[in-house]
Amino acid sequence: MVGGSGEVVVPRNFRLLEELERGEKGIGDGTVSYGMDDGDDIYMRSWTGTIIGPRGSIHDGRIYQLKLFCDKDYPERPPTVRFHSRINLTCVNHNTGMVEPKKFNILENWQREYTMEHILTHLKKEMTASHNRKLAQPPDGSFF
Amino acid sequence: MAADDCADASSAVTINIRCSNGSKFTVQTTLDATVASFKLIVSRNCAVQPDLQRLIYKGRILKDDQTLESYGLEADHTVHLVRGASSPASSTPPTSANLPASTGVNTGATENPTNTNAAGQGGAEAGGLGGAGLGGSPFPGLSGMFGGGGLQEMNNMHQQLLQNPNMMRDILNMPVMQNIMNNPDLMRSMFMNNPQTREIIDRNPDLAHILNDPSILRQTLEAARNPELMREMMRNTDRAMSNIESSPEGFNMLRRMYENVQEPFLNATTMSGDSATDPGSNPFAALLGNQGAARARDPSQNPSTEGSDGSPIPNTNPLPNPWNNAAGGGQTNGTRTTPVGGDARTPGIAGLGGLGFPDMEQMLGGNQDSSPLNRMLENPVMMQMMQNLLSNPQYMNQILGNLDPSGMLGSNTQIREMLQNPQFIQQLTSPAALQQLRGLQQPFSPLAPQQGQAQNQTGTAGTGTGTVTPNMGMDMLMNMLSGGLGGGGLGVPNTTPNVPPEQRYATQLSQLQEMGFFDTQENIRALSATSGNVHAAVERLLGNLGQ
Repeated sequence: MVGGSGEVVVPRNFRLLEELERGEKGIGDGTVSYGMDDGDDIYMRSWTGTIIGPRGSIHDGRIYQLKLFCDKDYPERPPTVRFHSRINLTCVNHNTGMVEPKKFNILENWQREYTMEHILTHLKKEMTASHNRKLAQPPDGSFF
Repeated sequence: MAADDCADASSAVTINIRCSNGSKFTVQTTLDATVASFKLIVSRNCAVQPDLQRLIYKGRILKDDQTLESYGLEADHTVHLVRGASSPASSTPPTSANLPASTGVNTGATENPTNTNAAGQGGAEAGGLGGAGLGGSPFPGLSGMFGGGGLQEMNNMHQQLLQNPNMMRDILNMPVMQNIMNNPDLMRSMFMNNPQTREIIDRNPDLAHILNDPSILRQTLEAARNPELMREMMRNTDRAMSNIESSPEGFNMLRRMYENVQEPFLNATTMSGDSATDPGSNPFAALLGNQGAARARDPSQNPSTEGSDGSPIPNTNPLPNPWNNAAGGGQTNGTRTTPVGGDARTPGIAGLGGLGFPDMEQMLGGNQDSSPLNRMLENPVMMQMMQNLLSNPQYMNQILGNLDPSGMLGSNTQIREMLQNPQFIQQLTSPAALQQLRGLQQPFSPLAPQQGQAQNQTGTAGTGTGTVTPNMGMDMLMNMLSGGLGGGGLGVPNTTPNVPPEQRYATQLSQLQEMGFFDTQENIRALSATSGNVHAAVERLLGNLGQ
């Protein structure tokens, strides 16, 4: 499949399979983990991601679980990202755990090449950002 | 994908482990191994003990009791390893010692945590709450007399208990208490037993709401158990009160609230409190009477004075803390009640806490009339014996000495004094009081010798109020005495010491796991602490994790 610009446009399924493999094998950055919730879902929509709290932040040592939902228009459109573990970040809705695209650059300016790994690693970076690093956090292990 | 090279799950495969610090290593395992055993293997390659390991695969935290297969793990896949140092469970088991609920208290969970029908709870509650209210509770009749006659010793006893937060906490931590508090019906029926109270509640839906909401009751108990929380709650209440007061009409509103709620309430309770020898018929008499005695009033005051100084003028002073012994009666009334009528829930809770819980046993005690146990005790021989016993202080003394190998009375001079006070004894021997006393005398005796001081107090309290249970069934009473008290009791030999908590709470454990509490040890601790109440356990776990 060749897009108008001459680049190869990877179809959704291939793209997600690729991401699945990266997640399972820990390829890439390796500091985040993600995988599919339901291996039988042929549309591969529902994903779980985990971010290990970065060092030097209040999140150090914590494990944050997220739900990512890649609808059928992924990767044209970004997935919806929701924290399952409670967390206090400026870009996360305090009641639902939803990562609000307007406040999170990578969702706001989504590009096709971005992956869930991008999202997770950027969220991780977000945790160390100056406006988030010191925020008081809810008890570890609590969930939205 | 590597799906094909490991079709046989029993053959060893290589798994990559990636630590949070970036280092990597590989381990060999079979895929049908459980996560727990996998952690053991992992621990040979790194410095992280199995119970500190958090393994993450495909975004999921691996649970110890699952197999690797069940997570779809395959050869050459990567599992992330995080050292779970931040979890209180993993940091050190002794952490629990610092927590409000000490596990020691809880190991004696009742044999069958699910067997919590109303009667069982009733009995058990009598025990727990009796303990909480200590002073009045062992002798419902006595408290009544005290209410009328103003026996100072009782006051002191109350105060002693209330000044001992540990004991209060222990009592409130008893699993039975938590079960009870989760049973709105029981609570409700206790309140509704008193026609006057019922009327008040009918007139004040707010109050009814509070009484009907188990979570409020539970919260109140939580507060009572945790001094910090309690202080915080009271502070909130005080703040809310002064805010109300400072707003225009706020003061009047408070006054109206007071007149609408507090006064009738107080009347309902003190009226029969003054008729006194039978406070059992009116649980609230004892409730407020003791309440005042316990923490609010100058010991020389008695419920009737409290009733009268409950004049419709609320306090203008900075709001006192009702838990504070030094506070004056009138003021305390103000603080206590207003929140009950108020719209703010938390203050309401605090107020209710101030109002009732430690004295709940009195309300339970109130059901005595119909008690078949009483009938048994009305046996003339028994009566005579009691009469003799009670009219002879020395004999009484001796008996109590015998009953009390662990020295509860010895160490609690107030009780001894009280029992040696001839006036008191005289009052004791009044027929009505006697009737009350007899109700508790019998169960008291077999229990007392077995338990240590703390248990003793709880035990006596429990038996005192235990007389309530007969109208729920004699056997439940017996259950309560043997199981409820023993189980709730602090380290008293348990009826089922041999069933490990993992087994006993298997269902609850899996529920907790489902909810995302993966630390089995911590879950077990929480469950034992709450006698298998998943809801309470979750709250406990959440609370702990924050610390």
